[in-house]
Amino acid sequence: MTAAPRTEEPTAPAPERPGLAQLVGAGALAGARAALGVYSVLVKTLYYLLRGVRQPGAVARQMYAIGNESLVFLCVVMGFLGMIVVYQTGLQLQRVVPDLGMLGANFVDLLVRELVPSICALMLATRVGAGIAAEIGSMVVTEQVDALRMCAADPVDYLIKPRFVASVVMTLVLSTIAGTVAYVAGMLTAGTFFQITPNTFINLSLVGVGDAVSFLTKCVAYGAAIPVVSGYCGLVTYGGSEGVGWATTSAVVSSSLSVVVLDFFISGACYLIFG
Amino acid sequence: MESVAHHLGSPFRVLGAAFLDLAHTVGGMGVLAGAIARRIVRLDWDGSELWRNLEKMGVRSLPIVVVTALFTGGIMVIQAAPIVQKYGAQALLGWGAGFSVLREIGPLLTALMLSGRIGANNTAELGTMMVTEQVDGLRALAIDPVSYLVTPRFLGIVVTLFLSTIFSDAVSLIGAAYGGWAILGVEPQVFFNGLTGGLLGLGDVMHGLIKAVVFGVMIGITSCQFGMSTTGGAPGVGRSVNAAVVVSAAGIFVVDYFVSFAIA
Repeated sequence: MTAAPRTEEPTAPAPERPGLAQLVGAGALAGARAALGVYSVLVKTLYYLLRGVRQPGAVARQMYAIGNESLVFLCVVMGFLGMIVVYQTGLQLQRVVPDLGMLGANFVDLLVRELVPSICALMLATRVGAGIAAEIGSMVVTEQVDALRMCAADPVDYLIKPRFVASVVMTLVLSTIAGTVAYVAGMLTAGTFFQITPNTFINLSLVGVGDAVSFLTKCVAYGAAIPVVSGYCGLVTYGGSEGVGWATTSAVVSSSLSVVVLDFFISGACYLIFG
Repeated sequence: MESVAHHLGSPFRVLGAAFLDLAHTVGGMGVLAGAIARRIVRLDWDGSELWRNLEKMGVRSLPIVVVTALFTGGIMVIQAAPIVQKYGAQALLGWGAGFSVLREIGPLLTALMLSGRIGANNTAELGTMMVTEQVDGLRALAIDPVSYLVTPRFLGIVVTLFLSTIFSDAVSLIGAAYGGWAILGVEPQVFFNGLTGGLLGLGDVMHGLIKAVVFGVMIGITSCQFGMSTTGGAPGVGRSVNAAVVVSAAGIFVVDYFVSFAIA
């Protein structure tokens, strides 16, 4: 017999929800595309740093917008952070060790190595990242970026490069200032709640070269990552005011996440190198 | 003469404007909090909107919460490594990681990440509805925007913060346990013994969870207030998202201090 006539299989109804493989694949593709986009913005920024158009005053304006306008915010946050850390640690340490004399030395070590750069960067990712994405995103949806392209000006050169330079410099400066605020706030808390005099509290014996290198590397890495990631989120905005909202949200989330991930790798590298 | 007076008056003008702005924001948040509290007491909110928001805020944020918590656990072990090795305090690693995660880092980092993700998103959504006059449309249909839009979002944020913090506490402790195993060679069993060895109790977990709820209230009120007071098109939406994330991030730290102090 010849093959039976092909019976028409009832076609399965189109699945309403995508399968797991589809979800994972779509996520991976979107992630890879975003990573490639961020990488290309980073490379272009570095290229234009060397041979871009000079715009007098642009970097200074961005430094004011990123640095001066975040100063009060960061000082408030880091001041409270210093008080919280000393208060909670002191309270817990009292349970196991009677003498809190080394609290100050460990506190400044932890501040320099980890807390100051990372928390400052998380705060800057929120404030500066949201600002950059909102600003560039509004320019994209109102077609100002297209106008820049029409004038043969790359938006990375015109918009992201000044923010990049300003952010790298200002993250260092702001971390240093806000870190000092946190240290002083911690010192006052230690004096008030645990009767530790400033003479005992100020003890830099635990801060070594490794800590300073870790602080500087983290500040530069975070300062570079925030404008690149949130600038990319701003540049891919589409769809009116709703799109600007989305771009801002994804800028805050991605730049905070990139700070946490960079923190993990830089801390790990510093631990391996300096012990 | 006039210009001198102008310059002398300028700092006061700046200070006064900042103060008025602050008073306006805080007052608006207070009024909104009162309106939300009235709706909650009278059980007057939109149930399906609440479920939709819980899915959108809670379930969709899970990947970010998990990734942040895992890395945080790892970072903590790396930072504690020199102290642990110097004093040979392997047995105390679990205790140290436990108290810092449960009391501070778990709730704080979860709140910061979620303030970026759902707080900003919420402001953007409400702000877009304001500038495209959809909220006015609701009012014209005699639908109360506070019980239809704001209260479900507020409840969604508070519930999400509470549940995500439980999740993130667990994940970062697991991250710290296995990070400690990989980096310091501390067996996970030793880590968990330190964790459950009697120095930590239910009180520490509750301390963190109370904080999570307070942070949720803070983020919820801030993001709804800034969203509902948006004006001025697409740039206006960007501005209010920016302001909302800044105020809720600073608010989280300020509130954290006072809560730590109040329920030590």
